[in-house]
Amino acid sequence: MAFVASTPSMPTAVPADDSLFEASGFQRVLAARRPSRWIGWRRRLLVALALAACLALFGMVRLMTQAPLIDAQWQSGPLGMPVLQASGDARLAPHLGRSLVRLQAGSDTLDFSAGLRLGAPRWTVDDAQRARQIQARDTLNRLFTAGPLTLVFDDGAQVSVQPQARGLRGLGVGFWLLALPALMLFLVGAVVLLAKPMAVNALFALMATCQAVNLLWIGAESSALLTPVLPAVVNDLPWRLGLDLATAAAAAHGFALYPLRLAGHVWLGAAIWGAAGLMLLAAVQGDAPGLWWWGQGSLLALGLTAVVVLIRSYRDEPNPFVVVMRRFALAALGTMVVVDAALVAADWQPAMAESVAMSAVLVWSLFFASLMALVPFLSRARRLLREFAMLAGLSTLATSLDLLFISLFSLEPFASLTLAVFIALAGYAAARQWMLDQMMGSRVPTTERTFEQLYGIARELQKRPERRAVLLAQLLRDLFDPLEVVHVPRAAPHARVLADGSALVVPVRDEDPPVALVLRFARRGRRIFTREDARLTDRIVEQLRRAVAYDQAVERGRTEERVRIAQDLHDDIGARLLTLMYKAPDPEMEDYLRQTLKDLKTLTRGLAASQHRLSHAIGEWKADVQQRLTAAHIGLSWSFSFDQDVELTVVQWSGLTRVLRELVSNTIHHAQATHLDVQASLDAGQLRLCVADDGIGRAPQAWSHGLGLGGVRKRVKQLGGDVVWRENQPTGIVCDVVIPEFLRRD
Amino acid sequence: MPVKVLILEDNPVARSFLCRVVRESFSDANAITEAGDLETARRHINLTGGDQGLHGVDPFKLILVDLELPDGNGMELLTELAQYPATKIVTTLYSDDDHLFPALQCGADGYLLKEDRFEVLVEELQKIVRGQPPLSPAIARRLLTHFRGGEGSDTQAPDSGFMRATGFTTSKPVPIDKVPDHERLTPRESEVLTYLSKGFTIKEIASLMGIKWFTVNDHIKSIYKKLNVSSRAEAAVLASKQGLV
Repeated sequence: MAFVASTPSMPTAVPADDSLFEASGFQRVLAARRPSRWIGWRRRLLVALALAACLALFGMVRLMTQAPLIDAQWQSGPLGMPVLQASGDARLAPHLGRSLVRLQAGSDTLDFSAGLRLGAPRWTVDDAQRARQIQARDTLNRLFTAGPLTLVFDDGAQVSVQPQARGLRGLGVGFWLLALPALMLFLVGAVVLLAKPMAVNALFALMATCQAVNLLWIGAESSALLTPVLPAVVNDLPWRLGLDLATAAAAAHGFALYPLRLAGHVWLGAAIWGAAGLMLLAAVQGDAPGLWWWGQGSLLALGLTAVVVLIRSYRDEPNPFVVVMRRFALAALGTMVVVDAALVAADWQPAMAESVAMSAVLVWSLFFASLMALVPFLSRARRLLREFAMLAGLSTLATSLDLLFISLFSLEPFASLTLAVFIALAGYAAARQWMLDQMMGSRVPTTERTFEQLYGIARELQKRPERRAVLLAQLLRDLFDPLEVVHVPRAAPHARVLADGSALVVPVRDEDPPVALVLRFARRGRRIFTREDARLTDRIVEQLRRAVAYDQAVERGRTEERVRIAQDLHDDIGARLLTLMYKAPDPEMEDYLRQTLKDLKTLTRGLAASQHRLSHAIGEWKADVQQRLTAAHIGLSWSFSFDQDVELTVVQWSGLTRVLRELVSNTIHHAQATHLDVQASLDAGQLRLCVADDGIGRAPQAWSHGLGLGGVRKRVKQLGGDVVWRENQPTGIVCDVVIPEFLRRD
Repeated sequence: MPVKVLILEDNPVARSFLCRVVRESFSDANAITEAGDLETARRHINLTGGDQGLHGVDPFKLILVDLELPDGNGMELLTELAQYPATKIVTTLYSDDDHLFPALQCGADGYLLKEDRFEVLVEELQKIVRGQPPLSPAIARRLLTHFRGGEGSDTQAPDSGFMRATGFTTSKPVPIDKVPDHERLTPRESEVLTYLSKGFTIKEIASLMGIKWFTVNDHIKSIYKKLNVSSRAEAAVLASKQGLV
């Protein structure tokens, strides 16, 4: 028996704005979406189906409660004879704890002394045994309808009892406990089909319905020993094998259609259904030898076919949904093999066979049903649900092992149970994390690493906000390691999981035009995106936005503060220096004040602005130098080349501005030059500045480095460079400034 | 008749300095009126026929306006005097384009930097009156962005930051959907501006472009005129926004 393909989208959870993501070509399956006006209609149909299911259940209950029954509870005894446990009938009360040997009514007799089995023939391995069993069930039915029953106990006592209608109380808790999951499973199938009426969902609905009927059936049989069954199902093997075969065939067929429509799926489907049909036909004929073996064998074969189909599908497109389905299929098949082994082992011990068959099949069916109910909600599954699935698997394993031990080694029930639980728990503890990772792929990079990345990317983003989409994609790539990341020009309110968790849509905030990132196939196609991932991504995007906004606010505050200081300096000190300059007693003092004022202006401008483009700065430097030299009647040759028009930092800009101004001042005031030559270049990150005059300056080594030249030295050093003065030929001074790593920012 | 000059400057020392500059610049006899704040300046202007200067018998021919005044910004007066038939010159300590460009947009015919030497100021003033307004690289760059089609990208130039704090946002022109032809720069004018923004002198530009010195100057004058025309409307909008008219 195997597994199911489906689509998880519930009608209400599918906003109409999905259409573009489909249009982008990655969502083949959702393309056949009905418009939303169908939703109301579908919801009504769903309610109708639920009502119909409830009515059917009610009908079944009514049928069961009207069946005749003896007011007594029996338990399978060690020799295969029913032991009276409790009774509301006064005539039976004295015989509590006695085994029933014979049941008689009229000419019909049912003899228990040889270890008679009355349970479902579906789970009886041996053909002859099953034939006896069917006959016994038939006899039992006749006995109950014939009239007063005579019960013969092992102490020879005979009690005559008139069977009564069973009544609601006679149904037992077990029936209701199984009716509930059966109903829910049926509704899950109906919801999936109604959400998107397409072939694969119809197959899922078929599987769900089959397994719901199966559960109900088990519930009906579990209620009591020595209960007559409906005449039509005295031999339930063809019916129930049919249900199981349909489930397995639908699974194998479904995986050929979804998530990837495999080539030749029509032929494959035909072969699968053909094989299942043939098997069912043989079961209905009922005379094939080894029918049980054939039936379970074909179920196993169909299950393996489903696994093979899944492997093929994954090879063509590494969809993580397929991986999860494969694991589910293998888990179901594995437990099925264990359960079958337990059944085979118990078959030759009539005393045990009944209870083993009952509990093993019940546990396996519940496990399978829970897996099936989980499938449509994989990407929505919360951790709790995942844990539940794992625990269900483990308890199934434990129970199967328990039954296996009991039947194989004839262990004490308690010892066997303890051993099985111990082994299962040990396995759980050892493999829990691995299974979590493997089953759902919940491995996420450590918080620490995520935080580091988030921080780094926030820094980078603040510097280059235009790279938002690229950086976010990079972060998500590190987080989820998807097979591909696609940019879609589309707005989305928040992150969403699409297509059974194989894709995650993440909106990039504050982009114009809007952009969304579509991540497909997490962890190289081995992991499913869950809603938690979507929430995590949303939080990350939000945190990123906040971090950047915070950085920007800090930067803005800093800038405002700097601008304010610059403004105050400029207005107050500037105005005073200007007044002082006008009142200067001599030209020298006036010039000194003028230089001070200009330095102040450079300082305040540097404070107020954060960046200066090199080409703009060069233009201003040249105009300034030109103007000053012209006023001093000195010629200028100017050349400034650069291979990269960088943004200068404030330090670089004001440093270079003042170095240049100081060097030019020097020439104007001391050199008595007629010409000044300024050659500068920014080449491969190295800045060279060479200022040469033809004045009277000589022997620069002997200069006392006053305020001016000392300032030049200091500023060049600040920029990480060196300055050298030497004699020019034939006359004058050359000043060489070299800053080797001008573009290194730290 | 003497040429009437109005000097609006709050610092008395600077005012008398500017008076000396004006006297030195023009050989004609001139009558200088001094004002220490906007209020006084407005009163003097009203005496000579109001801000249109039309029915006044004897309007001012030259007005020097300081930008930072105790009762407001000199830009306000420039906006009011948009139609006044005088040569209007901004005198300021700010040499960055964020302050000067709006002033030129408001109709100033030129600007003088107050920290310049006496001789330089005299020369510059004479040039402006003769019609050779200055254009620093920063302002040339600003003009280029401004005339590039009103795309609204003419926000703060990245290398000057005063405007944010002054709160005077004239530098951001009202976006114009389509610039009329007569307000667009010719290719030659753009070329001149580009050279100016790189720090070339008029003489260098003339030789680079293979044209005469005065042709370059004509281009600059024409650019100024276009700036005035294109900013009239903006100035009016701005003035009404600030409740000035």
